[in-house]
Amino acid sequence: MSTEAPFRARTEHVPAPSRPSKPRRGGSSRRPAHWWIPWAFAAPGLAFFALTTGYPLVRSLQISFYQWSVLPGTDSPFVGFDNYVRALGDPQFWTSVVNAGAYLLMTVPATIAVSLVFAVLLHRPMPARTLFRVLYYIPVVTSWVVVSLLFKYLFSSDNGAVNWFLQDVLHAVSEPVPWLEQRWTALAAVSMLGIWKNLGWCIVVFLAALGGVQQDLYEAAALDGANAWAKFANVTFPGIRGTVIFVAIVQIIGAFNVFPSILLMTNGGPAGSTEVPLTYMYKQAFSFLDFGFASAMSFVMAIIISAVSYLQYRITREKKEARR
Amino acid sequence: MKRSLVLPTIALAALTGLAACGVGAGSSQSAPSGNELSPSASVSGEITFWHAYSAGGGEINALEKTIIPNFEKLHPGVKVHDVQVPSSDMHQKLITATAGGALPDVVRADIVTVPELAKLGVLAPLSDVMPDFQSWAAKMFPGPLATNKYKDKYWGLPLDTNTRVVIYNQDALTSQGVSQVPKSLDDLKAAASKVGGGKFIFAEGGSGAWNLLPFIWSNGGEMTDPSVSKATGYLNSPQTVDAIQMLVDMYRAKQIPGNILGGSGDTPTSDGLAKGLYDTIVDGPWTFPGLTASYPSFKPATEPMFSGSAGSISVVGGEDIVMTQQSKNKALAAEFVRYMLSPDAQQAMGKVGQLSAEPALAADMASYAPYYAPYLEQLKTARPRPATPQWAKVDDIFTKQVQLAFQGKVTVQQALDSAASQIDPLLAQG
Repeated sequence: MSTEAPFRARTEHVPAPSRPSKPRRGGSSRRPAHWWIPWAFAAPGLAFFALTTGYPLVRSLQISFYQWSVLPGTDSPFVGFDNYVRALGDPQFWTSVVNAGAYLLMTVPATIAVSLVFAVLLHRPMPARTLFRVLYYIPVVTSWVVVSLLFKYLFSSDNGAVNWFLQDVLHAVSEPVPWLEQRWTALAAVSMLGIWKNLGWCIVVFLAALGGVQQDLYEAAALDGANAWAKFANVTFPGIRGTVIFVAIVQIIGAFNVFPSILLMTNGGPAGSTEVPLTYMYKQAFSFLDFGFASAMSFVMAIIISAVSYLQYRITREKKEARR
Repeated sequence: MKRSLVLPTIALAALTGLAACGVGAGSSQSAPSGNELSPSASVSGEITFWHAYSAGGGEINALEKTIIPNFEKLHPGVKVHDVQVPSSDMHQKLITATAGGALPDVVRADIVTVPELAKLGVLAPLSDVMPDFQSWAAKMFPGPLATNKYKDKYWGLPLDTNTRVVIYNQDALTSQGVSQVPKSLDDLKAAASKVGGGKFIFAEGGSGAWNLLPFIWSNGGEMTDPSVSKATGYLNSPQTVDAIQMLVDMYRAKQIPGNILGGSGDTPTSDGLAKGLYDTIVDGPWTFPGLTASYPSFKPATEPMFSGSAGSISVVGGEDIVMTQQSKNKALAAEFVRYMLSPDAQQAMGKVGQLSAEPALAADMASYAPYYAPYLEQLKTARPRPATPQWAKVDDIFTKQVQLAFQGKVTVQQALDSAASQIDPLLAQG
């Protein structure tokens, strides 16, 4: 899907070379195509999808209309849209959605901007380039559990490294900041972990896209007297625009799905003020056994994320079309 | 698939897998008949036992190298498969196994989960199915035994127990001009003002019922009525409000650290105690092996829970042993339950840190570790948290409201009024 975008962007500036006309399908030398052949090739993948995603999805939708009893064979009363009405009227659910939105705003633009800078720097020939690429990718492969606990210690109120730096080195604060005891400071701490953890993946994707931007465009820009910024703004960015959109959408979906870092750093507290949709759903399902309510919330969230992603996709696509 | 549909579909797929995890196909349930589970019945076959014994402290060794082999020697031909589940995962694993019809025969369950599992229909009521149940029940401390009661039946028996007492650092107290450890809630309040400079008279690791009920009960407050059917009039009574108000006042005056809000990242209570950062904490017997390992030169001292107008009342913790309805070998499961409660198994576990809930074994327990003695004494008055299948929700509501009061967003009275009104309908569900 969107991974093709860099190549499309490239063709916006270069006239496509004339290509020999395509051979007609089903020519005399080819066997007649049967409608089921592509389906047969796709069948293993489709079966896997149906089993691991399709079935849970449908089952989850079914559960959301019941006051679901976890013990098989026992009564699960049908409650219609009650679970959805409960979710929409639950202030804690909306707090969790707002927190996920705040996390999104704190992480996605920063992650994309910083990773783009690093990707452009790492794309240029430089000593130990591979080493740096590996180093930036390491956070991606580390365990969420380990780094969440590590960040919890970094942001510890009484002897954390962050407070030590702010108080004893910079003298920016007079007393330790209770990072994880307040809503916004706690979300900021979790966001910093999110940015640090996702940076490497975005850099790798951007590096791949940068490799697809045609070198002769840079040469042409240089002949026109473009400086580094002008080259980035007029050649690099348009060339990887599709990838930026792709990364943004994936990051937005990821931000709404933030889970282990919140669970381990604040567990949604204090007083539920840092709860995010997934921690709240998880507690409803596995602590309170309210599977119907948790399923209903998951579908409300799915609709919200789909709407945000679609909106973002439309806006960015329209902008691109308007530029043509 | 149309391109515009791809993203919403990915989003749907990514999000909705979670809630579907806990469902599965049907199971077979058989009602046990009393006679087949009598102690004289012959047993054979295999059973599976789930527990959360810790691997580090020698508990797994005692179970797998001593207790299970001895049981299998007593009953030649039988086999007990034990499965260790991390305690933090036990509840989720039990729920998914319930949904999937894949429960084990015997479970060492956290005491607060027993009424919930009983209500779900997962457990066999031991008071009905074990003909000798009464003789076992009579051996137990009343507090731990009460954790097994739901709807006039007992669904398990106390396997091990614990409670929380005051653990203190005398050197830290002395250096801060507090000559004697606070013995009452009033003493604690009075001593708090003497301590400062980044040090605290007392630290508590959370604001759940487990953390705060000893303060409420000792002050004469309650969480619910005795039949656990109502919170209004109990959770928001003047005595309960006073107990929480005292802690809130101390927190707001920076006399107790942020740990009480839970998950704050402050120095953990036992580490802070050993380092002299916190003068007193209230905690369980598991604190001692950890302190000995990490701070060998530190000598922790103990006192009963800070007393109030109702005396010194702490909270019962521990695990119960339960049998599942799905068990296909209930006779062997019952025999294994009996063996786990026998002096042989209780003493083997006592030696590695699991306190027996049987007063007759108290002297044995005290001889294994000197730090057991104050816990055995405290257990005489310790109380279980209200036994209700809704406990997880009740505790969540209580914790959230109390945290709002700690943060100064509502008064303690408002917080507890709100908690009581939210908890009442849950308790009414039974």
